[in-house]
Amino acid sequence: MTATNTFGAPVLSLLIFLPLLGAVGISFINRRNVGVIRYATLGVTLVTFLWSLQFYFNFDWNNQGMQFVDRLVWLPSLGVQYLVGIDGISLPMVVLTTLLTAVAVGASWPVETRVKEYMILMLVLETGMLGVFTAIDLFAFFVFWEAALVPMYFLIGVWGGPRRVYASVKFILYTMAGSSLMLIAILALGLSHAGGPTFDLLELVRQPVPPGTQALLFWAFALAFAVKVPLFPLHTWLPDAHVEAPTAGSIILAGVLLKMGTYGLMRFNLPLFPDASRQFAPLFAILAIIGIIYGAWVAFAQRDVKSLVAFSSVSHMGFIVLGIFALNAQGLNGAVMYMVNHGLSTGALFLLVGYIYERRHTRELSAFGGIWATMPLYAVLFLIAMLSSVGLPGLNGFVGEFLTVLGAFRANPIWAAFAALGLILGAVYLFTMFQRVFFGPITDTHNEHLEPLNLREILVAAPLLILMFVLGIYPNLVLGPLQTTVAQVLQMVGTAVALR
Amino acid sequence: MVSGLDFQLFLPETILLVGGIAVLIADLFLRERADRETNLAWVSLAILVAALVASAAQYGVSESLFRSSADPVAPGAFVVDGFTTFFRIIAILTTIIVFLASVEYVRGRTAFRGEFFALMIFSTLAMTLMAGSTDLVMVIISLEFLSITSYILTGYLRGNVKSNEGAVKYFLYGSITTAITFYGASLLFGVAGSTNLYDIAARFADPTAIIGTPLMSLVLPAIIFLLAGFGFKIALVPFHQWSPDAYEGAPTPVTAFLSVGPKAAGFAMLLRVFAVALPEFTHEWAALMIGVAMVTMTLGNIVALSQTNVKRLLAYSSIAQAGYMLIGVAGVSVANIAGIAPGEGGAGLAIDGTAGVLLYILAYLFTNLGLFIGVIAVDYLAGSDTLPGYAGLLRRAPFLTVAMTIFFLSLVGIPPTAGFIGKFWVFGAAIQNQLFALAAVGAINGVISVVYYFRILKQMWYEAPADPTPLRLPGTMNAALWICLSLTLLIGLFPAPFIEFANQSIHMLGVFVRS
Amino acid sequence: MLAEWSFVGVFLVIALAFPPLGLVTAWLLRPKRPGPIKKSTYECGLETVGDTWVQFKVQYYIYALIFVIFDIEIAFLLPWAVAHMGLSAAQGILPLIEVVIFVGILVAGLMYAWRKGALEWI
Repeated sequence: MTATNTFGAPVLSLLIFLPLLGAVGISFINRRNVGVIRYATLGVTLVTFLWSLQFYFNFDWNNQGMQFVDRLVWLPSLGVQYLVGIDGISLPMVVLTTLLTAVAVGASWPVETRVKEYMILMLVLETGMLGVFTAIDLFAFFVFWEAALVPMYFLIGVWGGPRRVYASVKFILYTMAGSSLMLIAILALGLSHAGGPTFDLLELVRQPVPPGTQALLFWAFALAFAVKVPLFPLHTWLPDAHVEAPTAGSIILAGVLLKMGTYGLMRFNLPLFPDASRQFAPLFAILAIIGIIYGAWVAFAQRDVKSLVAFSSVSHMGFIVLGIFALNAQGLNGAVMYMVNHGLSTGALFLLVGYIYERRHTRELSAFGGIWATMPLYAVLFLIAMLSSVGLPGLNGFVGEFLTVLGAFRANPIWAAFAALGLILGAVYLFTMFQRVFFGPITDTHNEHLEPLNLREILVAAPLLILMFVLGIYPNLVLGPLQTTVAQVLQMVGTAVALR
Repeated sequence: MVSGLDFQLFLPETILLVGGIAVLIADLFLRERADRETNLAWVSLAILVAALVASAAQYGVSESLFRSSADPVAPGAFVVDGFTTFFRIIAILTTIIVFLASVEYVRGRTAFRGEFFALMIFSTLAMTLMAGSTDLVMVIISLEFLSITSYILTGYLRGNVKSNEGAVKYFLYGSITTAITFYGASLLFGVAGSTNLYDIAARFADPTAIIGTPLMSLVLPAIIFLLAGFGFKIALVPFHQWSPDAYEGAPTPVTAFLSVGPKAAGFAMLLRVFAVALPEFTHEWAALMIGVAMVTMTLGNIVALSQTNVKRLLAYSSIAQAGYMLIGVAGVSVANIAGIAPGEGGAGLAIDGTAGVLLYILAYLFTNLGLFIGVIAVDYLAGSDTLPGYAGLLRRAPFLTVAMTIFFLSLVGIPPTAGFIGKFWVFGAAIQNQLFALAAVGAINGVISVVYYFRILKQMWYEAPADPTPLRLPGTMNAALWICLSLTLLIGLFPAPFIEFANQSIHMLGVFVRS
Repeated sequence: MLAEWSFVGVFLVIALAFPPLGLVTAWLLRPKRPGPIKKSTYECGLETVGDTWVQFKVQYYIYALIFVIFDIEIAFLLPWAVAHMGLSAAQGILPLIEVVIFVGILVAGLMYAWRKGALEWI
């Protein structure tokens, strides 16, 4: 892999630290000017989003290596660097992050308490997430990884629902447990490098680790990522965190933070530990399939709309892990595509659930029914998001599901059969939920007069829904820049199979 | 032979000694003046700053002081080298920050203010002596010196039962461990025939003369008994039982001081004695450290889980923190302290355990003191040192809350804070020495510590305050808070110069420079 | 050899015999007229009041501490004085300066104790 920066200027670092700079600026605004703080934060996130689009348009589809690379030696004695760059896998994640953060800030207007701290944490969180998706140095990656963890803890704990304390502590314990083992593995990997210590991923992949230690290090990394994904049986923090988090927190959590796990598996586990990856791929695929079916099953039994969507995430993330450990081009392409789709569709679903929660202050399925009549526009938007999540052809979800299942089929047809079962179950619980909420007679008088969606709410949801159509019709927007990178990852794992 | 150079290099200690006595005497003759406490505080601060400057000016010196007139080439009882300079700076900085944080507190809460300042200066003197001692007699005298001043400071609130209880426990426990340390030192003297650490090392240069002979049955107890004394100062398990009571009872600024200063000095002495005098027995004492480190971390963290008094909680937390530092001691690379610079291929490892301990102590100094400034502030302004007293602190003192949050994150070891760099270094040292189990236990302990640190965070961030009046920190306290906060972040973000400082400080630690 | 040390043995015997000898002689010679007052524990002085666990005045201890400090000071100064001739021949005035510092610190302590009223009996 090569590392290039055709700009000759730290454009990527600017992107990463733009939200942080915004946070510093906002800390100087008087906390009583709530409106100013809201619009300033939205402005910062929009500028970050526009700036990230610039990377999309300037990205060289045929370049195999890292682009827009910034390098700064941090600890010369250990070869630790601040090293960031973008390739085909990180590119969609970066744009998704900036988009969803802007959407999340737009969805945060109803937040009334401690708005200043809330907005600052959102911006710090964005810097952490962008860093995770662009870091090439393991040390820098770990720093950003942890930096993204702490703001989320406070977002859930301070602005969350009734069981927020429990949920936030559970969230941080699970993720900390994973990441501290990863720190040990990072140290062991970087310090045992033959040509002197280095944490540069591009250097480390050149020298494969001996098979014995490879398995150990693989597991240390994989555990940290599997907690984050979350892979069955490490998923138990997720429903609590999702249900208790504020709407914006859920959007970021489902849309971006979970992707950090799958991204990490793809970025670090496969190239760094190719032998171990091939060895344990079946195990991970089976866990992923269990997650797919279990998540769908439990989602079906949920009575709370939000926790239903949360369990659907467990199921959907299973597809992504399955795609990754299919270890072929279709699987990996599908996994990245699925990551984007899941960010859009689940983000949109949490957003829309948030809208109805703000009106009714309940998410119980039994409290709804017949909403189509009172909020027709809302119902249509919800339908689109749901169909995207189900994977209706023509919408974005289909492409990702099709590719991952195809990849799984080529790896092992039995996996694909079970994954397809998961697809059917997904349709069942989502349609059932939709039917109970939007159709039938109005059983609760509160539902007779619900305030229609206001302009802000429509504008916040619009970009996600528009993208669902765009990516459904032209998925090459994501898949195009991905090809060369995926080919290279597969070459490193040693299971390269030509896609075309 | 005592020469002019000796006194020149002994300047920081001289300044502290003369300054401490001067403050004590001045207090006697200024009794009637109402503004004396404030003036004495500033005078004491000036003395400490002068000692700090004098210490920093000796950066790069490597010289043995107070040699025998009969044998002028032999090493003396005190050495000024990078290691001494490092710990002198640590000791004096600790006291300066505690001073800044405690001026208002001491004025409001205690009588006899002059003694407080003088005792703090004498404690600092004891710590600098501990850092440079290269003779067992000097080691034990300075250890005793620090212990006695610490006992008095712990019991400083004379009318307070808890303060008295803490001091008495501290004293009783300290007397016994001191006796054991004496015994260990005398055993070592008996085997080696010298009290000078460099001489002992020379005597043990051929370990086959000891290992496998009956003499070994004296060296091992000597190591363990000496560890009792150092472990008592550091509060290592199983020599830690005094610390929760002493921390809870002592005036909060003294608790802050005890949690950093004596710990750092104890580590200085532990490293100096074991690495300088017993490098040939590294295998033995490093193995001992692995066990003690594991037990210390785990016990400190697990007992901290159920604490409701913040000072007591932080006492257990600091026990656990000492356990992390000990990981670095277990990962000591003798090659590095023998003069091979870290990172120079071959014998020198990229990460040195000794440097890791120093780095961790540097990070811990600013982090833990910063945290204690918050505890002092809440104690002083809101009159509480229990968990509910911190409820809603975010509304009452937003800046303090954010700063304390950063300090907690640093104690957990979350980047980009100083604590992360410290942990990175000690864990790295352990991993380089193939101590994977030790590193893994340390990592798991980091997760346990999240639970109780975040319990305080929960109070500060999530709960509603019982009394929403804003807390306004006095200027000196704010200044100390800013120093700690900026250095915690600075070490975390730009660690390179601090790592270089630590690496330089341990360079040639184990070698006697004949000049 | 043994003869040289025999006087120690003789001395020991005499020392052990002397107190009983005096007591026995007095017992033989004295007139015996016992009475209730004479048989009480303290023949003279006052009857004891309260039990033996009375609290002492803390000043006893302060006095004792100050005494111990100066006791030790003498213990240090004596060998210094004996060695002074040899030391000063080798190092000039330095040994004197060192001992002045030592005494100076103790003087400061004394001043402190004095000023705090430790030397006054209340």
